[in-house]
Amino acid sequence: MRTVYEVVYQTQNTYEATVKEAFFSFLVLPCQDQTQRLRTYSFSNSLEAEVFHHSNPFGFDVTCLRASQSFTHFEFCMKAVVEKSFALFPYGSNMTVAQEQALLHDHNFFLDYHLFLGTGRYTQLNPKHYPKLLFRGENQTVYEYLQQLNNHLYQLLEFDPEPTHVCTTANEVLEIGRGVCQDFTHLFIGIARLNKIPCRYVSGYLNQGLNLTGTAVMHAWAEAYIPGFGWQGFDPTNNLLADVHYIKAAHGTDYNDCSPIKGMLRTNGGHTTDYGVKITPLPEPYHNQ
Amino acid sequence: MDAVVRQNHISDIFKDYHTPPHFIDEVFQKSGEVHPYYEAVYRRFLEFSKDEFKELNEHAKMSFFNQGITFSVYSDEAKGVERIFPFDLFPRIIPAAEWARLEEGVIQRCQAMNLFIEDIYGDQHILRDKVVPSELIFSSKSYLKAMLGMKPIGGIYNHISGTDLIKHSDGNYYVLEDNLRCPSGISYVLSNRVAMKRTLFQMFRQFNVNTVHEYPQELLATMQSVAPNGIDAPTCVVLTPGVYNSAYFEHAFLALTMGVPLVEGRDLYVEKNFVYMKTINGPKRVDVVYRRLDDEFLDPMTFRPDSMLGVPGIMAAYKKGNVNLLNAPGTGFADDKAVYSYVPDIIRYYLQQEPILNNVHTYRCEKDDDLQYVLENMEKLVVKPVDESGGYGILIGSKASKEQINEFKQLVTQNRRKYIAQPIMDLSVHATFIEGADQFEPRHVDLRTFTLLGKDRQFVLKGGLSRVALKKDSLIVNSSQGGGSKDTWVMMEEGSAMNMSQNQQEGKQAMSMNGKTMSMGPDGMTMGSMKTE
Repeated sequence: MRTVYEVVYQTQNTYEATVKEAFFSFLVLPCQDQTQRLRTYSFSNSLEAEVFHHSNPFGFDVTCLRASQSFTHFEFCMKAVVEKSFALFPYGSNMTVAQEQALLHDHNFFLDYHLFLGTGRYTQLNPKHYPKLLFRGENQTVYEYLQQLNNHLYQLLEFDPEPTHVCTTANEVLEIGRGVCQDFTHLFIGIARLNKIPCRYVSGYLNQGLNLTGTAVMHAWAEAYIPGFGWQGFDPTNNLLADVHYIKAAHGTDYNDCSPIKGMLRTNGGHTTDYGVKITPLPEPYHNQ
Repeated sequence: MDAVVRQNHISDIFKDYHTPPHFIDEVFQKSGEVHPYYEAVYRRFLEFSKDEFKELNEHAKMSFFNQGITFSVYSDEAKGVERIFPFDLFPRIIPAAEWARLEEGVIQRCQAMNLFIEDIYGDQHILRDKVVPSELIFSSKSYLKAMLGMKPIGGIYNHISGTDLIKHSDGNYYVLEDNLRCPSGISYVLSNRVAMKRTLFQMFRQFNVNTVHEYPQELLATMQSVAPNGIDAPTCVVLTPGVYNSAYFEHAFLALTMGVPLVEGRDLYVEKNFVYMKTINGPKRVDVVYRRLDDEFLDPMTFRPDSMLGVPGIMAAYKKGNVNLLNAPGTGFADDKAVYSYVPDIIRYYLQQEPILNNVHTYRCEKDDDLQYVLENMEKLVVKPVDESGGYGILIGSKASKEQINEFKQLVTQNRRKYIAQPIMDLSVHATFIEGADQFEPRHVDLRTFTLLGKDRQFVLKGGLSRVALKKDSLIVNSSQGGGSKDTWVMMEEGSAMNMSQNQQEGKQAMSMNGKTMSMGPDGMTMGSMKTE
């Protein structure tokens, strides 16, 4: 079984003053992994600048372009057709709790996953908040615990785009009690890492046909390492496991590694920016190709 | 000048000279006698009267004004004030044999550091083997994700290292710091030599001192050796943050003396993962960048997004092997002062050799025992932040007030990873002309050496920057803290001295023929009337 999606990412930016020189990089292309394959993809931009690519430190494609002529308006669009296959969930771990913990406390394991075990400004948690958090019970497997954590955060926080912004940290989210998918995810990551479970930030796209939260723009969820299984996606914003409806673009230690657009502009004055995504399951004929 | 008058003057500029007890004096032996290798220079200085010497000193100062060699200080009181780095005419002399050992030790250290950085951005064997604690590396802000798995062209990370040494009261050299992120100071080394030659050329030419003027060409050759594959005549540039940087003079100086363009971030751009320089003849591809810009400002796409000083996309070009950067980004975790205490182990681990140079014992405040010791013995220690340079934020326990010590105890306890402490080292002293007193007095000195590593090449400058703490009894030699500097003479070996004196003999013959002196100095060829001796 598989589903095919057309994914469109589009951004429009208008500048008060003429931009004389600009460099943009985009981290928006759906990635390829065990459960997803890119069939086709294309990029277009209003400046007709030729795009070029490189891999970021986590191996994800970054699309760059440089504008050498002046402009006051810029549009960029990525279109991709992604084939998504159903993923297995880690039903019933093949390791005992003791074995799992032995692995998580192994020195070489720590070194291999250290990027997803440390804390940065987004995911660091102040000990004064610990009573509000959910820690792994002594006899719980990692997978059981993380599902419970997913639910815990879904109950704890209220989805609200108003009070937070891209720089909001997990500590601030705990104080406000509300936030968006990025905030749910940072908090999930911070708590998982306190339990010595490697956990990473994922940005991507969510099927828009299911009435889920966070589909109008790029979505964020977490991937945690389940001993004996591997990485599994958790979406605390929707209290779901990442399944066939989740199309991944990139992962990293936190939002900083995954921000979809970065730019450097030589201009005076401000700008307005707007972006949107469209995720459409393609009809059967295409599906059966 | 007859002998009697001269005799009177001897007592003038050296009459109140007393080496403080417990310190080594570079010029004088314990008995008070001059070291044999200083004797000739010392005698020369004794010939000057106070007024003569003051005039010479003014001369030397003018040389710096004229060369425009200034620096600025970052502090609240003196924002952007330009100063001249005070220069002392009495050179620091290092005998050939002593230097040979130092040079060996510095090379050993730099090579081990390069292997260390390569390993940390590779398989991290040293962490797996628990020789260095991983938390120490991962918590350093100079440990860069963007460098993981990155192998630069030529395999070198720390192309330019500035190893700081001091001579302790036990007579041994100790390394104080490994500066692996674009160390500065080389322009002073070269300008000090120019000033020395301009002021005391007649004296200078009688000694067999190793030259330093080849440094820019060695640096250029180092850059060229690590150019991207397939480039015959690589385009090299010096990337500066701009005129407001405290070391801007040095950036301009190096670009000028290497004969390569000096560029700012806005002069470069990246297109299709190649770096180009904007020129009046259109874009020109750039192959090697000696960047004097901190990591975090280098590329707003990878590091600080608000940096307007960097070149967007340059890290991607670097990772693709289309451009090389000197030094590699992310070398700073290795010169962190907490990692410093592991350098002897790092040398043993990678080179299977015993370290040649000594390390100062270091207490790491993050360790409970060490913190305890530091808090109880702060008045006997120097406390330093691990990731600052330029002598900022340092406490010297023996010189600090009760309030300062209490303040530091709090600072250290609040941020243990950030501080280390070391016993107060007895930096050697050197005779230094003190303005105002108008005489020579002993002042503490250190020595910054400069090492270049390239593909299949290595070079240690036979010279260096001897920094002097001009304040009496002060142990802080940094220019930003009121330090000065000396020309540093690394003497040639006995064998080569023979050749030199022969040359000089020939030179003298030629001179006596036409009654003029002819010299090749740093300013080109000059001719002047011969001074009768």
